[in-house]
Amino acid sequence: MDMQISQASKGDRDARSAASIGAMSREQLILQLSAIAGPSYLQAGLRALASYAGASHYLLARCDLIQENGLDFVVACDWPFDLVRRLAPELTSGYGRTGELEKCMALFQPSAAVLPDDVELPEGVGRQYYAMTFNVGRTRFSLLLLTRDSVPFLLERLRDVGLLSGYLASFTRCVEVRSERDFDLTERELECLFWIAEGKTSDEIAMILGISRNTINNYITSVMRKTATKTRSEAIAFAVRNNLV
Amino acid sequence: MRYQPDRTTGTPAETRLTRSGRISGRSDLFPKLVSMLKLIDAQHFAVYRLHGSGLPHKQRLVCELDNWGSANSVVGKAFVDAYSDALIEHIEKSMLPLMWNGRDSDSTAETLDFASFTQRLKPHLVPFAGVAFPVRLGSVGNGYVVFTAKFMDLASDMIVELHGRCCQLMMELLSLDERRSQAAEALSEREIVCLQLAGDGRISEEIAEKLGLSVHTVNAYLGSATIKLDSVNRIQAIAKAIRFGYIS
Repeated sequence: MDMQISQASKGDRDARSAASIGAMSREQLILQLSAIAGPSYLQAGLRALASYAGASHYLLARCDLIQENGLDFVVACDWPFDLVRRLAPELTSGYGRTGELEKCMALFQPSAAVLPDDVELPEGVGRQYYAMTFNVGRTRFSLLLLTRDSVPFLLERLRDVGLLSGYLASFTRCVEVRSERDFDLTERELECLFWIAEGKTSDEIAMILGISRNTINNYITSVMRKTATKTRSEAIAFAVRNNLV
Repeated sequence: MRYQPDRTTGTPAETRLTRSGRISGRSDLFPKLVSMLKLIDAQHFAVYRLHGSGLPHKQRLVCELDNWGSANSVVGKAFVDAYSDALIEHIEKSMLPLMWNGRDSDSTAETLDFASFTQRLKPHLVPFAGVAFPVRLGSVGNGYVVFTAKFMDLASDMIVELHGRCCQLMMELLSLDERRSQAAEALSEREIVCLQLAGDGRISEEIAEKLGLSVHTVNAYLGSATIKLDSVNRIQAIAKAIRFGYIS
């Protein structure tokens, strides 16, 4: 019951902020963001950014975690849980389809998509949603915004939204988790991977790094063991996919 | 004002500039940089990109575009010497703009209302103050757009506007590079399938069996794909194919 009430009051707040959307300038937004502090600053900040764009709900995801099972990739979100759970597999399957270069060119470029017909949406939320990516360090984030039927979505504001989301995410520790997930590869191993991806042979790398060819081969074997890959090609593919090189 | 890309650094990336088609493309970026420069009343701009291995300490900043001019190339070098380590470290973990103060006490870069969203570099190292906007596109094309002046005072609104434009600019710079490499012949379907399977850890024999081809044919496909991707061996071809989005 309490939950319903808080939901309802949240709805009111949404409606109010929606009404004032046209008036919110970038300066006001920045003022609002600068004033945010405390443990839930990311949520509060994203909420402000969503309403600046005329969106009703936000979901911030870490793209590098999307391939895995579960919902770990969600960093912050105010979507209904059912909707996140329903959409997760679609995000997972959609993410692998574009190449890295294409992704690099798509920074802050919003793409529109439509939610499937069979999902239940919060009152007043439209089926159209927008997604956009940005990077903080080596971590690529995806920001998904739900729209409201009654409020115009301000596409031209999304670059600001992406940028400021990136600023907010720069403060979080969620970015740093990445280094622990670098699959425990040593610096030497990463260095070898880099040169192999550049097309160098073991002999050439031995020359470049000034260590013996056998040592290089040992490093590579150890990389394949740690990343559970069977061939050199697969190890490089793995490294490229995970932005290790 | 003269806008001469600084060639004194003589890096491989700079020499590649001489290939036809790219200079005209890059020159289109100068007006954009100049208009940004004017917006904040700065003196100089420079665009740096990260080159080198994925490890932070093996990377270096290479100047791609600037208006230091030939007389001021020393200044550009001073900037890189003073700050490149800090810049490389910063872009590995943050998107926040960086600002620094110059050597003289009246040479400062300030922002009253945006201090919480900017970080400071060590002051007094170079003769000018300035701001550096990090742009992280992904695995390629990352770097900084830098503006310098004797003195600057930036409003928050201006920082956000400029940083957004800088990101756009870095994407355009990357697209100029890629226009060149996409001139290579497109990969055939068979070549893509073979590359994909090789990237998934299959050896040629397995690929041959799976596709009902002979091992020699598979190797021929991988060989032709390697040539088309301007690579020296199949491993580099796989790395490039993933980056270009031919395979996943």
